[in-house]
Amino acid sequence: MNKIIMDDPMGRDTVLPALAIRNLNFWYGGNHALKDISLDFPVHQVTGMIGPSGCGKSTLLRVLNRMYDLYPGQRATGEVLFDGRNILSPGLDVNVLRSRIGMVFQKPTPFPMSIYDNIAFGVRLHERLSRADMDQRVEGVLRRVALWNEVKDRLNASAAALSGGQQQRLCIARTIATRPEVILLDEPTSALDPISTARIEELLDELKQEFSIAIVTHNLQQAARCADRVAFCYMGELVEVDTADKMFTAPHAKRTQDYITGRFG
Amino acid sequence: MPHESVHTVQSYEQELEQLRSLVNKMGGLVERQVAQAITAVVEHDEDAALDAPEMDPQVDELERETEALVIRLLALRAPMAGDLREVVVALKISGDLERIGDCAASIARRAMRNELLSCPISLTGLHSMGRLVQENLRRTLDAMDQRDPELARIVWHSDTAVDELYVSLFRELVTYMMEDPRNIGPCAHLLFIAKNLERIGDHATNISERVYYAVTGNILPIIRPRGKTFD
Repeated sequence: MNKIIMDDPMGRDTVLPALAIRNLNFWYGGNHALKDISLDFPVHQVTGMIGPSGCGKSTLLRVLNRMYDLYPGQRATGEVLFDGRNILSPGLDVNVLRSRIGMVFQKPTPFPMSIYDNIAFGVRLHERLSRADMDQRVEGVLRRVALWNEVKDRLNASAAALSGGQQQRLCIARTIATRPEVILLDEPTSALDPISTARIEELLDELKQEFSIAIVTHNLQQAARCADRVAFCYMGELVEVDTADKMFTAPHAKRTQDYITGRFG
Repeated sequence: MPHESVHTVQSYEQELEQLRSLVNKMGGLVERQVAQAITAVVEHDEDAALDAPEMDPQVDELERETEALVIRLLALRAPMAGDLREVVVALKISGDLERIGDCAASIARRAMRNELLSCPISLTGLHSMGRLVQENLRRTLDAMDQRDPELARIVWHSDTAVDELYVSLFRELVTYMMEDPRNIGPCAHLLFIAKNLERIGDHATNISERVYYAVTGNILPIIRPRGKTFD
């Protein structure tokens, strides 16, 4: 059970991973939600996390940028190595951490402010940029998420007026504006229509050239389309991790096979 | 090839079951075609000779049905992992079975040729080759029906004996032809029959490879053990 299957024919595991989880355990009060998880997130790859509701995949994502700090009674043991440091250690500045490991949620969460300020807000927390530099940063990230042409004439309009798909791309733009190394996405397209979903997936393909990405998804086809590696979690345990190709054609564990073919209990 | 656990969506399970039954039905039909073809040749049985080619359109129709169902399953169910392998493999197996049917029909069509009916040449070699091919085909279809990778691997190996029988039969027939030019006619037909049997053996081997892959997710080595060749 605790054996993690690593089989990357490209041999890409030889490079240092962007994030390395070692023997991670996590508790919501008395509930042992993650059990002895060890998993690497390779640089410039998309790592997909799949598993039934409550299996711990979102919890895992929340640990990676210390989101659980916000709630009492939640604690983690083990190590999550990022840039040579254990991000679970108490001395770490979580604000800096969250600017380097960005997160995008299931529902688009634009701030109640203009499109421009949605992006500038986070940048201002970490950097002092001139007006011209900030303009450039905002335009750059909006182009990056292919939103620029749709919003360039109404940057001062409220972000709430955008469509769901546009809002989600804005949230991704906001996340990459602080120039993180890792992007975490928790079900980023579950509230979007197929066209908006395809745009986000295309965006992930492009963004992985620059960032390392972890995505939690219930949509197996999406994991198959987007992820280089896929991890299957079940009841707080990591059952199997392998290339998407292997996971969706010939997974090793019977539980993985049963889950992805829709044969679960 | 039934699965140990069933699908949560029952209609999906039913479609997979329908696919298995189509391929099994095709297998049964083709197995009978091969048996009839061999009987036609070794026993000069006219009914059997007519029977085998007559089953061809049914086999072709089943292949088309399998193809249509596979395309539907791929489009509408987006099968994954073991299901994906099973669906893709069913398509490939139906192709192999259809070819086996063609080979059997081709054998049966030669069976009643006058050259063969009055042929003084012993058909013992051909008969044993036919029996072996039939046996391999039967075991391949059993491996498919029972999802038995070990049996599939055994059959995959045993095609070697068919190859060897083919080579020795080939030599024997060439010798007859050299001895007496009047043997050339019947021997040419017998050679084609032997070649068709050998092809049936190859298709059965393909099927066992595919069954092995569908069940285990692993691919048997590309180079299969072969019997003696002509060089």
